Amino acid sequence: MLRRVLAAGVLTAALAGCGGRVASPPPPQAFSARTPLSDRSGRVTAAAFARPIAAYRRHVRRALTAMLGELARLRAAAGDGDLPAARAAWLRADARYEAIGAAYGAFGDLDSAINATPGATGRLVGLHRVELALFGRRSTRDAQAPAARLSRDVRRLRDRAGRVTIEPLDYALRAHEVLEDALHLQLSGQASPWSSSALNALTANVAGTRVVLRTLSPMIRQRDPLVLAEAERSLTRLERSVTPVRRARWDRLSQRRREAIAGAAAAAAERLAYVPELIDPRPPLPLKRAVTG
Amino acid sequence: MRRRDLLATAGAALGAGAVAGYGTAAGTGLPAGAAATADALGRRVAVEGVHQAGVLTPRPRQALFAAFDAIAPSRAELAEALRALSERARRLTAEHVALLGAPGEGPTPDTGVLGPRVPPDALTVTIGLGASLFDGRYGLTGRRPAGLKAMPAFPDDQLVGAETHGDLLVQLCAGTQETLLNALRDLMRATRGSLAVRWKIEGFLPAEREPGAGRNLLGFKDGTANPSTADAALMDRLLWTRGRGTFAAVRIIRNRVEFWDRVARSEQELMIGRDKATGAKLAALPADAHIRLARPRTHGTQGQRILRRGYNYSRGIDEAGQLDMGLVFVAFCRSLEHQFEPIQRRLAGEGLADYVKPTGGGYFYLPPGARGGDDWVGSALLS
Repeated sequence: MLRRVLAAGVLTAALAGCGGRVASPPPPQAFSARTPLSDRSGRVTAAAFARPIAAYRRHVRRALTAMLGELARLRAAAGDGDLPAARAAWLRADARYEAIGAAYGAFGDLDSAINATPGATGRLVGLHRVELALFGRRSTRDAQAPAARLSRDVRRLRDRAGRVTIEPLDYALRAHEVLEDALHLQLSGQASPWSSSALNALTANVAGTRVVLRTLSPMIRQRDPLVLAEAERSLTRLERSVTPVRRARWDRLSQRRREAIAGAAAAAAERLAYVPELIDPRPPLPLKRAVTG
Repeated sequence: MRRRDLLATAGAALGAGAVAGYGTAAGTGLPAGAAATADALGRRVAVEGVHQAGVLTPRPRQALFAAFDAIAPSRAELAEALRALSERARRLTAEHVALLGAPGEGPTPDTGVLGPRVPPDALTVTIGLGASLFDGRYGLTGRRPAGLKAMPAFPDDQLVGAETHGDLLVQLCAGTQETLLNALRDLMRATRGSLAVRWKIEGFLPAEREPGAGRNLLGFKDGTANPSTADAALMDRLLWTRGRGTFAAVRIIRNRVEFWDRVARSEQELMIGRDKATGAKLAALPADAHIRLARPRTHGTQGQRILRRGYNYSRGIDEAGQLDMGLVFVAFCRSLEHQFEPIQRRLAGEGLADYVKPTGGGYFYLPPGARGGDDWVGSALLS
């Protein structure tokens, strides 16, 4: 154990020496053999999150603006009775929303109006109501009213996006929670039962997670460059497994293909879960890690 | 707190019924159930050995079988995952202190399911390799153990792809279910990016409520005629390969219990070949009775004997509201082709086949045990 901790320490020093950029991937590590925190890292303050969160807010606003464009195209296609074009626009709109997962908690009721999961309580509205029309009922006509309502809700949210409050701790936790949602809702087939478009959403989830990680990377790198390197490496691996099949239906992939993608997503979540611990903005808790008695 | 106190406390907390059948409490001064539980929780099955544990070792009450597919990006990472399995198994099978960890070691070092001090609870970790691991992906084609192949579908099988085969098998056995679940979560976490779980099934043994073999879920005594694991020469002949490994045939065999419960007892006994109450072999044993087909006791079939080490299972219902329960059949042998398969061929078309439906499982090669220190199961094949 000591040997491997030391090895990790040496690697950390090497990474720090080249500004945290890794030429070759670090060797795989058991989760029990993490790099110890260095004394110089210092505590993270909530104020340090101001810039990352502001940058993320801009990302949210851009994504929602783009989503409005996709919804306009969706409604035009639905008006023309063009089912393939409406479906394609729906997939792009859904991906835009899936790329801003780190802010969902800050959207309040508008999030459930836009992105309620089928099977949740209440009448189905939003993206997945439109999905039901286009992919389940194969009806452009049935999509028109829910798509109009969805557009209104997205516009309201976009206009508020610059003011939504994202708590620093929540933001740090979203580093892995976006992928936790993907594992729970997308790869289980729950979120998009009619289009089976989990891979379309997962691709966007990874892109959104990248944005979170990028905004936090100076903070993470300063404390433990290996955590950042491993997280980025795991996301790259996940992208490589998803991107070639992102237009495929999740329920049509072979068992092994699904295992490889879900496994890469789970591995990335595992790596990203080191992030919030490292940059927890709360005052430090007294260590309670001794067994007494 | 001393270990004995701890174990007794843990036993009391677990409840008396949890490990009934594990020895007696005579003279301990503890409530019978608590002492039995404490004894069982303290039992240790070492990982190291010439052969892997979980073959000859007595069956603990609970078992879990999980098949994995390799998703490691490289051979080195696959080997690292195999090494991690043995390393974690070493820790998990010994009494240890959990929930410790320095800052920076990750969000949570242990599941916590077993509390801060973890007794061994007879946890046994057994690792098997499937033929598919030796396809081209990791350059292991030339290293496939002779005699290892994918399990074929036998004539009465209704195999479901999602619970059949696998690159790797982990068999976990322990006194209690929570020990199994803690071990599974720990092993999966340590190998997250390299091994994806393909299927999983949990099994249990019946409590010792009468002398002799326990009963399967058809209500018959099962497993009475195993070869003696104490006979080393016999085990060398029937089980161990020259490389000190062995082969496992794992079969998830669903019992159509509602249908079975509508069959006259006399019909059931003729199909099985035993008296349902006593387990005694029928005096007039039909030629097509299950136990005669499985083991004819002829000179020519003596070398076909296998070591069975199965568990009952129960897991939910199907779409018709029928109970999904049956047997996780596990057999170890030196040669699948010359021992297990001839038995299966004899059973083809037996009367019992209407009531027992194999739905999954696979063939796996169990490499020899880890030799201690830094060695790991599978090291000779993968390093």
